[in-house]
Amino acid sequence: MAARGLLARRGPGYLAAGWAVPGPGYLAAGWAVPGPGCLAAGWAVPGPGCLAAGWAVPGPGYLAAGWAVPGPGCLAAGWAVPSRGYRRPGLPVDNPPPWSRLHWDWRKGLESVSRHWGLLREEALGRLRGPGGRPLRQELLEQNRVLWQAQGPGSLKYWLLSSDQEIGGRSRARLSVGSNGRTALLTGELNTEPPRDGETRYSGYCSLRSRPLKGAFDLKKYYDLSNFNTLYLRVRGDGRPWMVNISSQMYFTHQKDDLYNYFLFTQGGPYWQDVKIPFSKFFLSSRGRIQDNQHPLWLDKIHTIGFTLGDKVNGPFQLEIDFIAVCNDRAHTEEFAYEKYKRNPEV
Amino acid sequence: MNPTVLTILISSLGLGTTLTFIGSHWLLVWMGLEINTLAIIPLMMRQHHPRAVEATTKYFITQATASALLLFAGITNAWTSGEWSLTEMINPTSATLALTALALKIGLAPLHFWLPEVLQGLDLTTGLILSTWQKLAPFAILLQLYPLLNPNLLLALGILSTIIGGWGGLNQTQLRKILAYSSIANLGWMITILHYAPNLTLLNLILYIIMTLTTFLLFKTFNSTKINSIASSSTKSPLLSIITLLTLLSLGGLPPLSGFMPKWLILQELTKQSLFIPATIMALM
Repeated sequence: MAARGLLARRGPGYLAAGWAVPGPGYLAAGWAVPGPGCLAAGWAVPGPGCLAAGWAVPGPGYLAAGWAVPGPGCLAAGWAVPSRGYRRPGLPVDNPPPWSRLHWDWRKGLESVSRHWGLLREEALGRLRGPGGRPLRQELLEQNRVLWQAQGPGSLKYWLLSSDQEIGGRSRARLSVGSNGRTALLTGELNTEPPRDGETRYSGYCSLRSRPLKGAFDLKKYYDLSNFNTLYLRVRGDGRPWMVNISSQMYFTHQKDDLYNYFLFTQGGPYWQDVKIPFSKFFLSSRGRIQDNQHPLWLDKIHTIGFTLGDKVNGPFQLEIDFIAVCNDRAHTEEFAYEKYKRNPEV
Repeated sequence: MNPTVLTILISSLGLGTTLTFIGSHWLLVWMGLEINTLAIIPLMMRQHHPRAVEATTKYFITQATASALLLFAGITNAWTSGEWSLTEMINPTSATLALTALALKIGLAPLHFWLPEVLQGLDLTTGLILSTWQKLAPFAILLQLYPLLNPNLLLALGILSTIIGGWGGLNQTQLRKILAYSSIANLGWMITILHYAPNLTLLNLILYIIMTLTTFLLFKTFNSTKINSIASSSTKSPLLSIITLLTLLSLGGLPPLSGFMPKWLILQELTKQSLFIPATIMALM
């Protein structure tokens, strides 16, 4: 939807350069009919249904991969569609000139400036209150903390949803509010058929990840969970084996793919499941590969928490989340669950 | 770690500092600092934890930058004056460059940003070496160079370090970061008085090393890295808890503990030098 908003402000020069065809709203606003450059570049002419409904047209990658143009029902229902479209590996990257991406909006700029200064003021006042903006007494006596709780549609902004559609796969995922309005419902359909691009061999995943915390002026912030030792989730699954991923904030890009994972086996029944996973159980993986050298998760700089489904089973999935919390289980004294045996003797 | 390798690394740490102590040629002194840096890098990475690797990389980058600056200062001085001796630093630009390099080495404000993060990524033993032993060699150079350094710059660095070290340590819950900011603050006090009474700098350094050593060893005994775990330490060992309290108060400079002595003497010396405003600012911090 944001893509349509962007397109609305583009002039006809963009059409000649091969950009996607705008919907009927833009035609009504006086933009030109897509020129031959668009069609020659492989962009499909939007069908009448799409245009009548005003939907944006997906890029050629979708059509090359065998997908039909998503109908308006899909987008209206909130299915995630990558905004830039799928680019088949090997094809040249769209490289528009930098000035074409500039979008001057004084109102948005002023809003952004006032938002950031407001955040800075809150941070400064928070420092007067105590560590992390909370009183020191709370920091010392805290035993539990709710990191996220589903409280209506606004709380869904906390999450980033992705699936293998970004690499040309056929899985679908959507995040919505549960039936009573007090849970988050992650539903979709997994499809393990790999995209027909000659390179990708595996497919079929869906991932829900929390947005990284950003402070004033988009400064990176993190969660300090060092007072706690257990992750507490209240979920209602579908019997599928999910994976909980925690990433800790890194400084160098070498470690950007490092994730700490653990399994979340859902029961699938109508009853809610209270899952307590000690942080000592999380194991280190990088780009999906479990590392030989395992290390415990350091809790002082947690970046994101997420859930992934990739159990190689085609079909629908569903995960309902009530809250995500952390707690301090005094009975759990394990520091790290995995022993590290050195297979080769030290030299 | 292999005991042989550990022995070599610790010996190299000792060698580097000793070389810097005995050296009067810029190249020898620089070499001692480099040996120190290179010897502590594997010690910092003993754990192979991603955070330890991150801390080591940050430490290496900052120390290498400082070493390059210091070498540049020495070479520039040799080029302009023909003298390689440490105490014959006639070129004021070289002296300022050398001071900047040493400030980066020890973590003086405004070149302190690396210290809390690096210390947070290390285990307590390596953090102890970083906070104590690694400060000796740069201070050996500073104590030889002090007559040639700009006193205003020293004052500015010192006061800024005191302010940032004092205020930066507020609202911290991680003990290693608290100790890093405490280190910055104490170094500020040392640098402020360096030009006027270097013997007080040396006294402050010795007391700081003793107190920091004590603090780190106490935290290592309790196996605690955050204030919550220290809060429950009285059940484990009441005597050590009391000693922790006294050591931390001493580190903060509370009379009648020994940590107050250098602060008192420094303020007295600043007052004698008619530096009332810096003395007031530092007393308030």
